[in-house]
Amino acid sequence: MILATLEQEPAHGYLILERLRERSGDVFVLAEGTLYPALHRLERGGLLASAWSPGDGRRRRVYRLTRRGRAELAERRSEWTRFSGAVQAVVA
Amino acid sequence: MSYVDELARELVAVGIRGGQRERILAEVDDHLRSDPEAESRFGPPRELANAFAADAGTTESRRAAVIAFGALAVAGIVYAIVFAGFGRASHLSDPPLASLAFFVIVLAPQIAFVAGALALLRVWRGRERGVLSSAERTVLARRTNLALGAGLATMAALLVYAVEIRSSVSGWLVAFTLAGAGAACVLLVVAIVPAVRAARLRPQIAGPAGDVFDDLRLIGYRARPWRFALLVAGLAGLGVWLAGIAGADPIDGFIRGVFEALACLGGFALLGRYLSLRS
Repeated sequence: MILATLEQEPAHGYLILERLRERSGDVFVLAEGTLYPALHRLERGGLLASAWSPGDGRRRRVYRLTRRGRAELAERRSEWTRFSGAVQAVVA
Repeated sequence: MSYVDELARELVAVGIRGGQRERILAEVDDHLRSDPEAESRFGPPRELANAFAADAGTTESRRAAVIAFGALAVAGIVYAIVFAGFGRASHLSDPPLASLAFFVIVLAPQIAFVAGALALLRVWRGRERGVLSSAERTVLARRTNLALGAGLATMAALLVYAVEIRSSVSGWLVAFTLAGAGAACVLLVVAIVPAVRAARLRPQIAGPAGDVFDDLRLIGYRARPWRFALLVAGLAGLGVWLAGIAGADPIDGFIRGVFEALACLGGFALLGRYLSLRS
């Protein structure tokens, strides 16, 4: 889900949480204490890249998807589509 | 004390320093400026610092094991060429220092290979898991460190041996040994750096250490570890004996095979608990 929030454009941690909350209609409210270690982990794994960017008079760490991150997102999305379709077919 | 100050202290406590620490603090500080109420959702500073250290520690420990094995592989190639060059001449007449070096040359690479391979196996087995427990990281670090130490001892012994017997072997072999083993020593020392970096991180993550039976998926032997040790020692001894037979020297091969098996059992007794080969 974090990767998906960065698909269109890069964002800093606060904005990622906002996008996640808005897109899910307030269903997914990820705790900050979970988000930042996850961002660092994804970056260490080569799925995200980050850089400092000036904004509102202060430095912000902005994350963007790498090529590997996009490939991973596409794969996860495909898995999810298959899985959710199967669940839907069973419970509908 | 503010949340960020407290986090700064906790990050140091778990071994996160320098640029990484500054980055985390800047990100948290920026987030709290945007949303001051987020402090409670960050969780206690100690837990947040521990989460960062657990992730980083897992990555660094795995990386250290893989880099160590890579360096040992290069050292192993040097060793194979040099050892083949020294031949199978009797070493009974070697000077005392050369005899001691030869003993290390025979024993230490086996320890390096077993410890390094077990470290790599643990990395491979746990590759799908997000975070390693503290106990598991300790096992990984012990295997990596012992492999590097034994590898360095082997290369140092090769250097000593080449110098001690330089008058009785060809000049090119002595030169190659000095250059190859020297370069391998440098590579192994460089491989210590990631191991030290991994050791600096000290997250507290509960969980079992696991043993060699987890690594090899041989859970049935856990209750009878010495039976497993006898099996491995027997196979190693048999392998050496067969090599002796292939080399048209079955008696010598048999004697070497017995020593090999005894060395395996000795290693299991001495290092078994340290390397988590048995509990």
